[in-house]
Amino acid sequence: MNQFIGSRALPDLVYHRPGTMDDLLGLVKGIEGEYRVVAGCTDFIPAIRGGKWRFADGINVVDIRGVKALSGIREEKGEIVMGAATRLSDILVSPVIREKAPVLADAVSQMASPQVRNTATVGGNLCMASPAADTAPPLLVLDAKVAWRTADGEETTPLNKFFLGPGATVLPPRSVLTEIRFPAPGPDEAARRTRMGQRTAFVCSIISVAVWLRGGPEKIEAARIAMGAVAPTPILITAAESVLIGKKPNEATLAEAAKTAASNIAPIDDLRATADYRKSLAETLTRRLLAACVGDLA
Amino acid sequence: MKITVHYTINSKACDLEVDAGETLLEALRNRLKLTSVHRSCEEGECGACTVLLNGEPVNSCLMLAAAADGADILTTEGLMRGDQRHPIMDAFVDLHGMQCGFCTPGLLMTGYSLVRKANGGDLDEATIRQSIEGNLCRCTGYMNIVKAIQEAKRRKDAGDWW
Amino acid sequence: MESREHRLISGRGQYADDLDFPGMAHLVFVGSPHAHARIVRLDVAEAEAVPGVIRVITGADVVEHTHPLPVQANFTSPGWTWRLAEVYAMPADKVRWHGEPVAAVVAEDERTARIAADKIQVEYDPLPVVAGAEDALKPNAPKLYDDWPDNKQVHLKFDFGDPDAAFKEADRVITVSNREGRVTGLPIEGRGCVGHYDRGKGTLTMWGAFQTPYLQRHNIAAAMGLPEARVSINAVDIGGAFGLKIHAWKENVVALASKLTGRYVKWFEPQRDFIVTGPHQRDVSWQGEVAVKNDGTLLGLRATVTHDLGVESTQKGIAALSIFPACSSPCNMYRWKGMHIEGIGAVTNKSFYCAYRGYGKDKGIKFIEAVINRVARELNMTPEAIRFKNFIQPDEFPFKAINNYVLDNGDYPGTLNRALEMVDVDKWRAEQEKGRAGGRHIGIGIVTSIEPAGVAVPNCQMGGLTQARVAICPDGTVEVDSDRTEIGQGSEISHVNIVSGILGCKKEDVYVRPVTSETIGQGPLSSRGAVWPASAVAKAAKQLRAKVDRFAASMFDATVDDIRIADGVIGCGKDTEKQLTFAEFANKAFFFPGPRRLPKEVLLEHEQLLSVTTTWYSPSTPESGSSYTTFCTSADIAVVEVDTETGVTKILKYAHVHDAGTVISKKVIDGQIHGGIVQGIGEALMEELKYDRNGQLLNTSFAEYLIPTAVEAPVIEIAHLVTPSPFSETGAKGMGEAPIIGSKAVILTAVEDALSPFGILVEDSPASPERVRAWVNGSKGDEQ
Ligand SMILES: Cc1cc2nc3c(=O)[nH]c(=O)nc-3n(C[C@H](O)[C@H](O)[C@H](O)COP(=O)(O)OP(=O)(O)OC[C@H]3O[C@@H](n4cnc5c(N)ncnc54)[C@H](O)[C@@H]3O)c2cc1C
Ligand code: FES
Ligand code: FES
Repeated sequence: MNQFIGSRALPDLVYHRPGTMDDLLGLVKGIEGEYRVVAGCTDFIPAIRGGKWRFADGINVVDIRGVKALSGIREEKGEIVMGAATRLSDILVSPVIREKAPVLADAVSQMASPQVRNTATVGGNLCMASPAADTAPPLLVLDAKVAWRTADGEETTPLNKFFLGPGATVLPPRSVLTEIRFPAPGPDEAARRTRMGQRTAFVCSIISVAVWLRGGPEKIEAARIAMGAVAPTPILITAAESVLIGKKPNEATLAEAAKTAASNIAPIDDLRATADYRKSLAETLTRRLLAACVGDLA
Repeated sequence: MKITVHYTINSKACDLEVDAGETLLEALRNRLKLTSVHRSCEEGECGACTVLLNGEPVNSCLMLAAAADGADILTTEGLMRGDQRHPIMDAFVDLHGMQCGFCTPGLLMTGYSLVRKANGGDLDEATIRQSIEGNLCRCTGYMNIVKAIQEAKRRKDAGDWW
Repeated sequence: MESREHRLISGRGQYADDLDFPGMAHLVFVGSPHAHARIVRLDVAEAEAVPGVIRVITGADVVEHTHPLPVQANFTSPGWTWRLAEVYAMPADKVRWHGEPVAAVVAEDERTARIAADKIQVEYDPLPVVAGAEDALKPNAPKLYDDWPDNKQVHLKFDFGDPDAAFKEADRVITVSNREGRVTGLPIEGRGCVGHYDRGKGTLTMWGAFQTPYLQRHNIAAAMGLPEARVSINAVDIGGAFGLKIHAWKENVVALASKLTGRYVKWFEPQRDFIVTGPHQRDVSWQGEVAVKNDGTLLGLRATVTHDLGVESTQKGIAALSIFPACSSPCNMYRWKGMHIEGIGAVTNKSFYCAYRGYGKDKGIKFIEAVINRVARELNMTPEAIRFKNFIQPDEFPFKAINNYVLDNGDYPGTLNRALEMVDVDKWRAEQEKGRAGGRHIGIGIVTSIEPAGVAVPNCQMGGLTQARVAICPDGTVEVDSDRTEIGQGSEISHVNIVSGILGCKKEDVYVRPVTSETIGQGPLSSRGAVWPASAVAKAAKQLRAKVDRFAASMFDATVDDIRIADGVIGCGKDTEKQLTFAEFANKAFFFPGPRRLPKEVLLEHEQLLSVTTTWYSPSTPESGSSYTTFCTSADIAVVEVDTETGVTKILKYAHVHDAGTVISKKVIDGQIHGGIVQGIGEALMEELKYDRNGQLLNTSFAEYLIPTAVEAPVIEIAHLVTPSPFSETGAKGMGEAPIIGSKAVILTAVEDALSPFGILVEDSPASPERVRAWVNGSKGDEQ
């Protein structure tokens, strides 16, 4: 068992801050010994202070924030593309996101604090693969894909396939997450999200829910529901989709879909909430969000 | 590993040798003796260590000193003009937005950046409260802090130097 | 003169973490990962081998070089239990809670100390864990202290008035129970200090976040085995305290580290350490029954309150002492016939219990206010009606209550009436009715309370110590010494207002000096600041004023009645020629004091210096034994809305009426009210330290132990009544704890009101969203 120590020291680091993508990939490829890619460090530093992560002196830290190409948000061929090192606060003020994907801006606005958002990055949030990562549910319902690069090439995968477990992703060794992209939603689409914490502001989610619908007041054509903090990773819950698709979105349908979604998760009890409470919230919040989306579509 | 960084700190250029494993908080407090930057949780949770980095509030405990290379940094010390208090400081004193004072430098920085960027009329209460959610205060119940930030905006609008 | 506000706001505060001395070493504690275990082996070799490490201090060193922590409160009455354990600042043999320090690393810098701390090897032999008071009190429970017969540290029994008669007279008796979660006060700044043992002189000097330097000196000297006169404790700027910085514990290890290394040694505690190894509070459960008449007359109470005290250490007896106010305070501000109250304190494998804003008064009042609101509901009365029926009336003061408190004065009905003017409860009740039809759940809470302030109890270190000195310096500035450390509660502003008001000097010429152990006193605890120290300062200032009048009269060749002092100018009648500034006056008084200037009698009486040191004692205590002196009054009304599907409580309106007697500084009082109310809201809705069955504290950081942010804190409306206390020198009443007492009670009762259609009794706190949702689920689904 670890000793109890209030706050641990950071190890002696070898700090790298490459300025271009090529330098970054070359560095990561050739680096010897232990290394970590970091962006905002808002997960990295607390993990060491609290004893969750331990590194030997001399660990290489590769700060990707020097690579301009990794930051920024653009619209490209009907897709919205965010660099992995885009800061949360940049997402919040991005005109593209505010117009095309307000659901993401809404999620980000409730994440951490303004100070943390000014350094934390979206890529860091996804790579950390916390079950409670708050950017994940909206990105999942927006059908996002993530791309990573190694010195040898690039690969893309749906975000849905990205997470493997708490803290684990499909990212291969010596790779860097580069981009997150999702199709710009059309006028017949609506997306909403919410989350619950033990207090309102500046708190880790005990559950977060995002929903997306395509269709109109008469018929739902497509639906996605995603949740955070109810499984080992943020998840898409496909079971409820069939309840909605092809149906008229009335109260009963939405309630049934919410119930189905909630019965298809298997959350755990932890410090922040019990499984029962999470399930109960899953149903309530999903139902409320679906109703709000239907309102948006009308 | 030692690294030489260059900051513009409180409007003064400075070159500083830091350890790669040192946070900005540690560099500011221990090397530059900018002790208004307070230390409490060291994990980004309390906001006592808030400084402005290129005009935006950040937790200096969550940032490597090396990663701030080239940045323009402002701390509470830098809000003073000689012995004259910045209007937001006056507002905090006049409206009793400070009790023990430990959270205060961090709140001044967050509040200052909020007011500096705000245009138009009065700052509404909800905006202020959300903007300072990352600055915990255990003494004031936030009431007078919110009022002081509102008042600071009024003083800025009235033409007080900023 | 530069004010404290100016110094702090400009970033020049000097908090413990800012202390820096030549050659200063840094100390970091290593804590036990186990809640209860024998220390089998402790190996420091690897840690000491880290370059930059000066020495590791272990529990064995502490036992070898220091004494057990001194006893601070000891009550032995027939029929009572009061046990004390022999504990050192760090144990050599056994750990009793998760985080308990077993070693401390002293190194050239803090980072090195932290690295080395991780390299200390400790082998533990885990022991069975006592995870809560209920377990602790079971027969055959594992024992925390081998020499005790069981885990019961305290059992007090009180008969107030005539409880049997009260119950005989009752129309009905209602069973009541209540529980409060374990919380911590959590100032944003942790504990910290620098110690310097001067080997040449054999003196120990410490600077740091000391809330009660005089008592801390006594306790540190005792543990260190040093003569008290050779120890000096100095408070620096303190980043909040709320009672959590009155003890002397890890500070002893810092002192020892300095003694063993000959260096200045600094320790500054990270928040996580403060939560895990800091003082905790609350964690009580009440069982009882209340006797009432059908017309709402309150008659009697029989109740037992059981405390989970955690380990007995660091402040021997002071944790247990808080059981007294918990037992006495249910009388609150009402007429009662009789009460039988028992207070039990059990030791468990949790961090220790110490003072936090409220110190038991909050527990008793929160309990009784919940009980009264329940009685009202049962009798179909409004919460205000039952209170108006039972309040002690303004013409009954001083009122000797059945619990021995001598209530100074106040206007209890007036206080509640004022609150009812601020919140239109009938309008809200109509809104509540309307809302319920549409599934909205609004709740209205009403609570009234007094705050017993300014503790003076026998058999303990809180016996009523206070001393003040007010002096005019030769340059005309004024210096003030008192035991009232500035912990953010406005003691400096208050002292400045008092002294300048009495002396007539300019406010900016008054300097309130940092508190040191040179001044005798208990410090600012139990809201005594505005009572004891302020009274002592006022008394000293009055005596000094009399001297100034007398000296000035002599200088002007006039009589004392002619002396007028205002805004720093000492004048004589209407004669504008005869004027002296304080500087001119003081210069004459100090440096040209011969018979030409000062009255001859003054010199013969040896009273020539413009310096007065005095003390003060509560006037109502000697005869009555009342442990408190003043009783400020407050009324809280809160309107909340509960989302019964998610369990989230939102505060729609919050009004607080306060009567703290003479207002020394309105902004200070309002600030105390705001802060206390939000702390109380934290307790009511979110704060709770969670230990698992193995005694592991699960929420160990600000991320997990949640306190309100600006977003959860409501807008607070305040109104003041002013009924000056006859028992304090200024008429002011202590008020620092009142806001937390009323607020947690009022929020919980408002939540209960909101949930009344479900028949839910809010008998547990915090009313966290999850808990509220569980209550709703458990209420058989439907609204009744
Ligand atoms: C006080 C506080 C509050 C927080 N609140 C929230 C919250 O409300 N919701 C929430 O979801 N999170 C929250 N977080 C967590 C954190 O801020 C986010 O996860 C943040 O987005 C992480 O980004 P970063 O750039 O700081 O990551 P870093 O700390 O730099 O990195 C995190 C991890 O990701 C890896 N990584 C980062 N970028 C890349 C990349 N491009 N390629 C490969 N690997 C990479 C790193 O190796 C590291 O393992 C909070 C954190 C703090 C300290
Ligand atoms: S010390 Fe940086 S946020 Fe608490
Ligand atoms: S003033 Fe004390 S923490 Fe804010």
